[in-house]
Amino acid sequence: MAQVPVQTIHRDPQLFYWILFPITIVMILTGILRHYATVLMSSAPKPLDLRSTREQRSLLHGISLRSNFHTLSPRSFHTRRDTIITAYESGAYLKDPERKGQPPANPMTDPSSMDGMMGMMKNQMAMIIPNTLIMSWINAFFSGYVIMKLPFPLTIKFKSMLQAGVGTKDMDPRWMSSISWYFLCMFGLQSVFNFLLGNDNAASQMAQQMGQMGPQAPQMFGPGADPNKQFLTEAENLAVIEHHSVLDGVEQRLLEGIRV
Amino acid sequence: MPSQQELDLQISPLVQESLVHNSRTLHNLQSLTASLFGVGAGILGLESYSGFFFYLLFSLVTTLLVYALRIAPTSISSSPSAATAAKGGVLSRYFRSPFDFWTAGLTNGLAGFILTWTLFYGLVRA
Repeated sequence: MAQVPVQTIHRDPQLFYWILFPITIVMILTGILRHYATVLMSSAPKPLDLRSTREQRSLLHGISLRSNFHTLSPRSFHTRRDTIITAYESGAYLKDPERKGQPPANPMTDPSSMDGMMGMMKNQMAMIIPNTLIMSWINAFFSGYVIMKLPFPLTIKFKSMLQAGVGTKDMDPRWMSSISWYFLCMFGLQSVFNFLLGNDNAASQMAQQMGQMGPQAPQMFGPGADPNKQFLTEAENLAVIEHHSVLDGVEQRLLEGIRV
Repeated sequence: MPSQQELDLQISPLVQESLVHNSRTLHNLQSLTASLFGVGAGILGLESYSGFFFYLLFSLVTTLLVYALRIAPTSISSSPSAATAAKGGVLSRYFRSPFDFWTAGLTNGLAGFILTWTLFYGLVRA
């Protein structure tokens, strides 16, 4: 019966009340605060003027015609397509038709696009400031305490991450210090926020970072996009559609369905 | 002419918003139950592999219950046409793909599971 003796460390049970619970509660409350701060700071989208609304809606009209063409009869589809392509190519829906050939304005100088930039800045700030504060708070008060033991073994490589500030060489990497409990909370509290705040909450910074890392959807009406070029591309897309209707051969399908 | 698959999709279209709503509901359920499984595993004092097996088993049971109680009855009784059967069975009427349905829960809830597992293991076994 030669077993490796299990390391046991006698810890003061007060550690739970004075380290573990405060960190957890602070993390949860910060998440809630961040959610409501984001809600409060988000500015309502400014109403667009008539001409730029027309520009956007007519582009959307072309796109929805392209994706739903199969519900139209051939005749009405062709009429719509001809109208839209003519208007697109002549630039009838453009916001200011005389600026057709020129390159788009620099988004940094355009005052209307500064709002979007400010919104992004605010979000970044709402993420960075609480994280920095909590990290330094934990480092200042709780560094060097061993508070818990992970229920699963880890390799030695995790030691420097989990036991930052604990200078004991031979300790099992399963023992974790307060800073690693902070990281665990950061990853795992998403479900708690889902439960508390509803689904599309802004509480977890992890979800937001994931969203930023993912493939960015091309901004359709963002600053820097040339509407004339978008119109021409869309006209080309519409022109190559080979029309068919869902009602083609519907009698055949109906009869087949009846026979079975 | 369009391909057969394309035509099927146009005749009986899938609404993206509903698919997203279904996935989100399932995601909510899974992350909540994963945290509760973590509480269970921590109180039972499971360690290493047995804890992860516990999680695997119970999240599969959860998904199976959703399938058996919520999806299969309505989907089968509404007599799936040949089109839906060809595209991957009854699940494809409600979710993007069956693979997604069966395995997405494991990754969704894992972080929450580890959090509550560690917390309750620490509190009980200390």
